[in-house]
Amino acid sequence: MINRKITLLGPEGTNIYVIFQYLIFNVISWFTLFNITSELSFNLENILVRQIIFTILGLFVFFFFTYIPISNIVSLSTVLMVSSTILLLGVLFTEESLGARRRYDLGIFDFQPSEFTKVIFVIFIANALSMKSNNIFTIGLVITNLLLIYIQPDLGTTVILILLVLFLFFLTDVKIKNLAAFSLLIFVLFFVLLEFNLVNTFQIERITDFYSNEVKDFSQQQSRLQISLGGFLGENLSNTSNIDIFVPVQTTDFIFSSYSKSFGFLGCVVLLSFWAIFGLRVYSLITKTDSNFEKFLLSGFIILLYLQIFINLATVLGLIPLTGDPFPLLSLGGSSIIAISSIFGIINRIFIENNLVI
Amino acid sequence: MFNKYRLNFVFLLFSIFLLVIFSDLFALQILDNEENAQQIKNQNFEVFYIPAARGEIYDINGNKLAISDLEPYLFLNLRKINDDNKNIYVQLLQFNFKDITTSEIDEFFKTSDVFTKIINLSEYNADIRLRILNYEAFEVFNLPTRTYPYSELFSHAIGYVGKPNKDEQNDYPNSINNETVGKTGLERYYENTISGIASEVIVQNGNIVEIKPSVPGRDIQLVLNTETQNIVKESLQEGITLANKNFETINLIERGAVVVQKIDTGEIVSMVSLPDFDPNQFVLGISEFDFKQLNRTKAFNNFAIQGLYPPGSVFKVVAYWLALNEGIFPETALNAQDYIDCEGSLSFGFDDGSKQVYQDWKSDGHGKVNLSQAMKQSCNVYFWDIALKIWRTFGNTDSEALLQDYSKQLGFSSLSNIDLPFEKEGVVPDRELFEEWTISRPELVRPEGWLGGDLMNLIIGQGAITTTPVQVSNAYRTLLTGKKSAPFVSPESPNGNIENINISDEFVQFLLNDLNLVTNPGGTAYRSFQIMGDQIFDIGGKTGTAQNSGELNNTSWFVGVDSISNPMYIVVTVVEEGGSGSAVAAPISRRIIQHLRESELTPVEFGEITE
Repeated sequence: MINRKITLLGPEGTNIYVIFQYLIFNVISWFTLFNITSELSFNLENILVRQIIFTILGLFVFFFFTYIPISNIVSLSTVLMVSSTILLLGVLFTEESLGARRRYDLGIFDFQPSEFTKVIFVIFIANALSMKSNNIFTIGLVITNLLLIYIQPDLGTTVILILLVLFLFFLTDVKIKNLAAFSLLIFVLFFVLLEFNLVNTFQIERITDFYSNEVKDFSQQQSRLQISLGGFLGENLSNTSNIDIFVPVQTTDFIFSSYSKSFGFLGCVVLLSFWAIFGLRVYSLITKTDSNFEKFLLSGFIILLYLQIFINLATVLGLIPLTGDPFPLLSLGGSSIIAISSIFGIINRIFIENNLVI
Repeated sequence: MFNKYRLNFVFLLFSIFLLVIFSDLFALQILDNEENAQQIKNQNFEVFYIPAARGEIYDINGNKLAISDLEPYLFLNLRKINDDNKNIYVQLLQFNFKDITTSEIDEFFKTSDVFTKIINLSEYNADIRLRILNYEAFEVFNLPTRTYPYSELFSHAIGYVGKPNKDEQNDYPNSINNETVGKTGLERYYENTISGIASEVIVQNGNIVEIKPSVPGRDIQLVLNTETQNIVKESLQEGITLANKNFETINLIERGAVVVQKIDTGEIVSMVSLPDFDPNQFVLGISEFDFKQLNRTKAFNNFAIQGLYPPGSVFKVVAYWLALNEGIFPETALNAQDYIDCEGSLSFGFDDGSKQVYQDWKSDGHGKVNLSQAMKQSCNVYFWDIALKIWRTFGNTDSEALLQDYSKQLGFSSLSNIDLPFEKEGVVPDRELFEEWTISRPELVRPEGWLGGDLMNLIIGQGAITTTPVQVSNAYRTLLTGKKSAPFVSPESPNGNIENINISDEFVQFLLNDLNLVTNPGGTAYRSFQIMGDQIFDIGGKTGTAQNSGELNNTSWFVGVDSISNPMYIVVTVVEEGGSGSAVAAPISRRIIQHLRESELTPVEFGEITE
């Protein structure tokens, strides 16, 4: 290993692009939340204050991972996966809130382990694929985690994780035929579970209702209307009279519709372009690095982030049924921000180890 | 191996997704912008809130002390009423519900809300319900009702609920939509836990488009014991009746309080304050006349935590602790065992040459007394001598407030932090307080300020000192365990901090033995406990009779310990204007201790008048 000089911004500096991109996403979230509350009082109940605190915590996490060599992350991948399993097991014994057991109540904020499972999943599978390890233990851990999240119940996260696994398999040299067979197996397994009544019918009904009924979900209908209100420039720039509209969970799942209303089509293009540019920067890094593990890891992170964005957008636009997935770095929520900060921190580290600091 | 071409394919796939999303956003925000804005303006949403069920309250054995029942109520959707169909609905109501008067029906149509509440349907048979729901303006929602199955028994501990006022709406935002807030007692203290989030019915142009279910409040478990509470209330009532029979007082004796506290944990097993009220009266609204009447008798005060009384001789235990800890005894005694002569009065002089004579309650004196005998017979002279010693040694120095410091360490003059609202803290007077009062409340102090006589008053629990029954109970508990912590009614109490106080096992044993002397032959409470036979040798207590100003009868106190060999409970009884502690409060406590020791209950009998 090369000995690296440690500076304030991490070893041999920090990739300026990554840190700025990270901060821009966070600041966009602050503005959006400010537009929703339109008040700034300094207490922990205020969503803007909460989000700013989460960003500051997120920055610590970002730099924490900047200091950890990628080789250490490789060796820790199994430990991380086991701890994720334990946390997911523990969460089943917490008190039920809103029909699910997903979070630990830590007083002023909640800790949602499945957000961290997403990150750990990428690390663990990237390691397994680059080592070509396919023993029972590896597969067992993956399936246990999936099941634990599924019974919370959290169908949205389960689907994201299954898609993530499939995409990562697709990136290996595995024959398309095999992958297709594997996907079919999951599909069949799902219907077997359904047959044995092991699937929460409430969730299935939500899906079948969505595609059979002409009438769309109330909150999604409202969300579409709210997005439409933004126009080209958005409410903030175009000085149109404010029209109030009722949309549930504005600060978390449906934050994108508030964002669109405030910043318009232009704002949407800007935000999504930032994410596209970020994807392309990471893509160039994937082509540059020689390590197979890093290639899988970076691809996994990008696929994970994009999947979350697409699923959130599709929900907000009413293209798919409600899932309850947050928009990365835009939605209010500590666990999500901290988890994504660790992704940015690891990506930053890979940039540095490949001598890319600008 | 990593396959780069497939990665290109994934990125291509994502680009297509992005294009689909952009095209949809473009269609929504640019093409349909104005049309949708117009649609929103026409939406006309209204939200109607249905209160959430409050959490239920259980005693230690799982008996329900407060219940939330959901009952179906008929509502009328006023947005569906117009001039054409109004008559039909009026006739439907008149036909099906004979109890509703015509003027009430007129009122239904006057509100500006979406829905107006008509009647509780649970009393009507299902046929009416089926028949009436064919008409589209009728809607049935379940509303929670609070009931207290034990009526008056827990009125002060549990409190009652009512409509929130402005301040309460600010402090407890959930109460706005629930239209209910805990007014006193546990209902108030645990309002945030016990109240739920109201259900939202979203109505668009008169049609319900979404119903967000309510989130019910959380249940609360208590450490109160219903069986004990019953016995305690009975005993206190019997005692008050007896006091009224035996004393000629200017006021009717009607107020009193009892606290039963577990010694090891500090939990409150029973808490009774009289007079009490039925919290069920508030659920459907109480008449102004009834409310004023209850208010006049001070029925809403929980005297166990809000009654401020001079403690009288039960306070002597503080000086008792101080004497043993500091080695301060009367001038002629060297230690706790040395006797002094009590002649029934004490005359003494101060440095300024003034001379005064204090009379003990027993005018012919207690004879030879040491510390234990002084506790047993509640001899004032012995404790005055201690006060004089403190005054002569430390008076006008920084250490002057020795007795006050000892009392404050036991929790006097500060809140006990029990998990009940509106607790009072009382005062332990000292020089500073008197100086403050000469400015703020000059009617309470003499112009000379703080004098030795005030200290002598304080040591026997008289004068300006005030305490609540729960403070006294917690102070005795601290002395018997060396642990100071907040008493609690529910294990969920947020005040779990325990402070260790330096108290030796030797002292605890010594104190228990001397408390035992009080119920033994020759002790002030012997007559009241006599009926328990040999058991009195395992019971302890301290009587207190605090003088009140003017014509008022004395305040009757008794602090009891259920067992000397295995002390488990402290029982503190106060009867306002109840006269001698040994005559009224002691026999009440005796019956409660009989229950706690699981021995045969005998009626409360009027005891011996001492002090």
